[in-house]
Amino acid sequence: MSSSKDIISPKLIKDIGSLHPINHMKDSIMSLLVSLGFEIVEGPEIETEEFNFDMLNIRKSHPARQMHDTFYVEKKSNLLRTHTSPVQIRGMLEKKPPLAFISGGKVYRKDDDATHLPMFHQVEGIYVDKNVNFAQLKDLIYKIIYSLFGDDVELRFRPSYFPFTEPSAEVDILSKEGKWLEILGCGLVNPIVLENCNIDSDEYSGLAFGLGIERIAMLKHGVTDIREFYKSNLDFLSQFK
Amino acid sequence: MKIAYAHLVQHILENPSIEQVSNSLFQLGHEHEIEGDIFDMEFTPNRGDCLSINGLLRDLAVFYTINLNQEIYNEKLNELSIDFENLSKNICPQISFLKLEVDQIPKRYNGSLDSYFLDLGLNKNNFFTDISNYLSYESGQPTHCYDSNKINGKLVFQEIEKVEEFETLFDKKITLTKKNAIFSLHNEVINLAGVVGGKSTSCSANTRTVIVECAFFQPEAIIGKSVKYDIQSEASHKFERGVDPECHDRVLRRFIKIVSDHVNIKDMSIVSFKYKDSPLYKIPVDTNKINQIIGINLSDNEYLSYLSKLSFVIHEGFISIPSFRSDIKTQNDLAEEIARVIGYDNITRAEISIPKSEKLNYKAVENKLRYFLLDHGFYEVINSPFVNLASEEAIKVDNPLDSNREYLRTNITNSLVDNLLYNEKRQKDSIKLFEISDIYTSINGIHKKRRLSIIASGKVGLDYENFSKKINKKYLSSLFHEALPKEVFDFQVLSRDSLDTKIKNEIISLEVDVDMFSNDILSYKEISKSPKNFNQYSPISDLPSSFKDISYSIKDYSKTQDLQDLLLNYQSDIIKNVYIFDYFQNEKSQEIKIGFRFVFQSKKTTLTSAQIELIYNNIVSDSLKIDGISIPGI
Repeated sequence: MSSSKDIISPKLIKDIGSLHPINHMKDSIMSLLVSLGFEIVEGPEIETEEFNFDMLNIRKSHPARQMHDTFYVEKKSNLLRTHTSPVQIRGMLEKKPPLAFISGGKVYRKDDDATHLPMFHQVEGIYVDKNVNFAQLKDLIYKIIYSLFGDDVELRFRPSYFPFTEPSAEVDILSKEGKWLEILGCGLVNPIVLENCNIDSDEYSGLAFGLGIERIAMLKHGVTDIREFYKSNLDFLSQFK
Repeated sequence: MKIAYAHLVQHILENPSIEQVSNSLFQLGHEHEIEGDIFDMEFTPNRGDCLSINGLLRDLAVFYTINLNQEIYNEKLNELSIDFENLSKNICPQISFLKLEVDQIPKRYNGSLDSYFLDLGLNKNNFFTDISNYLSYESGQPTHCYDSNKINGKLVFQEIEKVEEFETLFDKKITLTKKNAIFSLHNEVINLAGVVGGKSTSCSANTRTVIVECAFFQPEAIIGKSVKYDIQSEASHKFERGVDPECHDRVLRRFIKIVSDHVNIKDMSIVSFKYKDSPLYKIPVDTNKINQIIGINLSDNEYLSYLSKLSFVIHEGFISIPSFRSDIKTQNDLAEEIARVIGYDNITRAEISIPKSEKLNYKAVENKLRYFLLDHGFYEVINSPFVNLASEEAIKVDNPLDSNREYLRTNITNSLVDNLLYNEKRQKDSIKLFEISDIYTSINGIHKKRRLSIIASGKVGLDYENFSKKINKKYLSSLFHEALPKEVFDFQVLSRDSLDTKIKNEIISLEVDVDMFSNDILSYKEISKSPKNFNQYSPISDLPSSFKDISYSIKDYSKTQDLQDLLLNYQSDIIKNVYIFDYFQNEKSQEIKIGFRFVFQSKKTTLTSAQIELIYNNIVSDSLKIDGISIPGI
């Protein structure tokens, strides 16, 4: 029989908690962008129509401004931001170029089903300097996507439309199953938006991009129902350590 | 919008395959699915000009030779005398009317009209409405057909702002409210402009004389109406995105030609009202600027050749924008045209180097707090801010999803209580959660606070040192005191009285402003690390779980490790978790007591006690094969 000195108690496995997978994904993407030179800026979730829409060249007639897409609060005096772009407007009004901002956080749209939630998360970035062009935007997007999904992932750029960028693009990656999956939207900042922020669009140009965090987290973790993220089920949360 | 491949390719001289056309459309930014020989197109909202055969062909002209070969009626037409008044010319700056009388209605259709209904599997309505629908598909311009015999007075167009009853030609009765652009006859609404016509003046199978209305409406006056009144309307989809204000004559002459291809026309006349010229945009030719925007090196000739193919007219150093391209106004818009034609994927990447900004210590205190909590077994959660409980300072949502989500929460704790109960119902006996979120309130203006809330209840931990300890105020206070000795926290014991639960464990909570934490937390050395990999999620079961404990007595100490190796890695589909909840070394009796808890749960069915018993017996018999151990009582 061994002497008591030889005894090693069983390893004490203390339960360590976990970051929420959406916050973890948001933090990871923001760290990556900070390493590329972006500075983090923050803004309020309750916004004005001016910052959420007007300054971003989203006309009064744009579908997103209809009551069915946007949550308005306090007798329509304010709204819950529908994207994180107004944060960049605030940033551009405060600082002169060259500037490179990212903002991340909660955004709200009036949707509620298996693929859409009334609250979700975005990370958006903007870079304004002299001679920023579409070929550089492509380079940046490749760097972001390679970093997230590996250097061997196949991606494609598709022409798209956002009122605040021109030209605009959506970027897809090819899944292992051979399906193209939309990952992010991007483009060159519409000169109208630069002018709205008192930036001379003849001298400066900019690029911008935005990612939906839930979508990327679903792909990376293999979660198929977006609602799982917000049930606060410990069996779910404990898988993301 | 569904568009038949055959209807496109009949105008393309190169006769490309459906795959080739599909690839060209994708490159140009026109997303679609292919269903048989039909493209199910999804256009971006700025490209209303593409919502037709001709619109798509105008874009495809950059890759292919297009021959429209759509005949129109080219003879001189009599002027129509119509009693019409436009009281909202700013909304409808251009409108035309065509009156046609035919001697009979055709029994069957021919040519493009026939293949439109056949290839797309559409239901026919009546002769004139069918031509109107087809022309909208072919040209992108919606038209509306009135039965001429029912227009027995002055036709008035105006934007009204009063409550009116209106019955659509699809027999749907709606009440118009707020601003609406309408046509009226004898003060009765007969047409919700740009959305849907009315029943009282619509054409029928017997209509021999038709008045075709062809108009340009400002998108702002039409947008949102079809959603508001729940009307499926192809016309409003087009008007909302902008139609070509200069197409009326051609569209109406094409209407005549299609009618005349089927029946004899007894009489026809046309009139156009143009109250305001549509704006003509010109942009200077600046190839350098285009190259600068995209990051390419295109020659003048290449640039202008691409634009010409897309119907832009170049004259004396300026590019005239076609009337159907209301989306083009700047050099950046033109750059997008060129980038689409070249193909976004064919534009070579150019190294980007963003000057590094000063390194910021972003949310250092908040992040340190998160890791401190993680180290002590807390899980981070995120909750929706929408609640039904209104406190005085809560912000009210004007258009909530439902009455249970009418306000923004004014605290996080209530959300965490719900999370706690949710997990207790799933047999969790050690629950520690936290959330950090902005909380908004409204008293004399909107105020934001960044708050941390934590909640904890049940066992301190599931490890053998903490299994029998219950979470209480003292435990949490000492935890926080260790990291933040100078700060005092007001932990609360929450009452379970109003909660739907039979569990009695104390609920301890804390909700504080993140600002109140000092930088002292920064010296805390965390154990937890941000995960390097993104774990593959394994679907969880919502079926009930149950547990069984097995306690062993070990005389031969060296076998302790063998037992752990066997049990902690025991393989079974229904074992969800195994852990050591008890461990004691009795020096006096030279014996180790060790207890294992097995948690059972299936992903497929609710487990029966027999199923659990079977696995349990296997575990017992497998473990007892190890010499020197026993299970007291067995």
